[in-house]
Amino acid sequence: MVEDMNKYLRKLLSKIDGLYCIIISDRDGVPILKVCSDDSPDKATRTSFLSTFGIATDQGGKLGLGKTKSIICMYENFQAIQMNKLPFVVTFVTSRDCNTGHVLALEAQLEPLLPVLRGVVGDT
Amino acid sequence: MGNCCDSCCGDDANSQSGEVTERSRLLEDPVSNNTNILRVPSDDFLSRYPNSMPKTSDEQSALNRILQETASNVIDVAALDSHTLEQHEYRERVTHYTQRLNGIAVMQRWRSPPTKVCLLADLPAPEKLLSTETVLPTDLQTMNYFMEAASEAMSNIKVEHKEDLVVPFRIP
Repeated sequence: MVEDMNKYLRKLLSKIDGLYCIIISDRDGVPILKVCSDDSPDKATRTSFLSTFGIATDQGGKLGLGKTKSIICMYENFQAIQMNKLPFVVTFVTSRDCNTGHVLALEAQLEPLLPVLRGVVGDT
Repeated sequence: MGNCCDSCCGDDANSQSGEVTERSRLLEDPVSNNTNILRVPSDDFLSRYPNSMPKTSDEQSALNRILQETASNVIDVAALDSHTLEQHEYRERVTHYTQRLNGIAVMQRWRSPPTKVCLLADLPAPEKLLSTETVLPTDLQTMNYFMEAASEAMSNIKVEHKEDLVVPFRIP
């Protein structure tokens, strides 16, 4: 059930101190699953922000260094970590002093969820 | 090369003899002769191997392909446009995803993967936990005392029977 998926994401959210938000969206930034804490910045969860990953990934692939796996942006107040799980983009929004390695390690724990979601965006 | 010379000599022979054929030249210009000479073998080659040489349309499409590949490999920062979804398109897609997600979730009966039982559990911020002050022994004693009292009270809870739960109705 969707509630179970959200509950699972919320559990992952609570595992890491300073992790505010986990969003699984399509490459245009339309959210499919989204769990956020109260501290989550609104601007970092907007579609316009989430969709920049798709553009950056397309261009980054031309650098000849292989496929872009993840993009980590460190801002003054927040971190935005985005993972390439096409057709999905997984976005984590964290505090500035959150342990980035812990967030990257969540990738393995998100893997069981993604095959189920693949059917959701399959026809679009 | 031998072929070039032969065809050249042959044409010269024709022109010297004065016979006007379809192969005789209108101009006796050596430069044009050379160009003609060069064309002969390529024509021969094309007639011999018609499939091996690219035709004009193939050449054009190949050039277009190269152009497209080059254009797609160039990072043009100025031309990057952020494709923003229209509001209605966004809403439609969200609705679509929600419906599909509900359908798939019900169909596949997704359950969260079982968590491995481990004595060493992940802590969000171990340094914070480790740096906190330890519990005072007196507080610990107080807590133990209250817990024991609560446990004793719980164990002494008994059901006091006062009246029958099942009452027979007097049905006439």
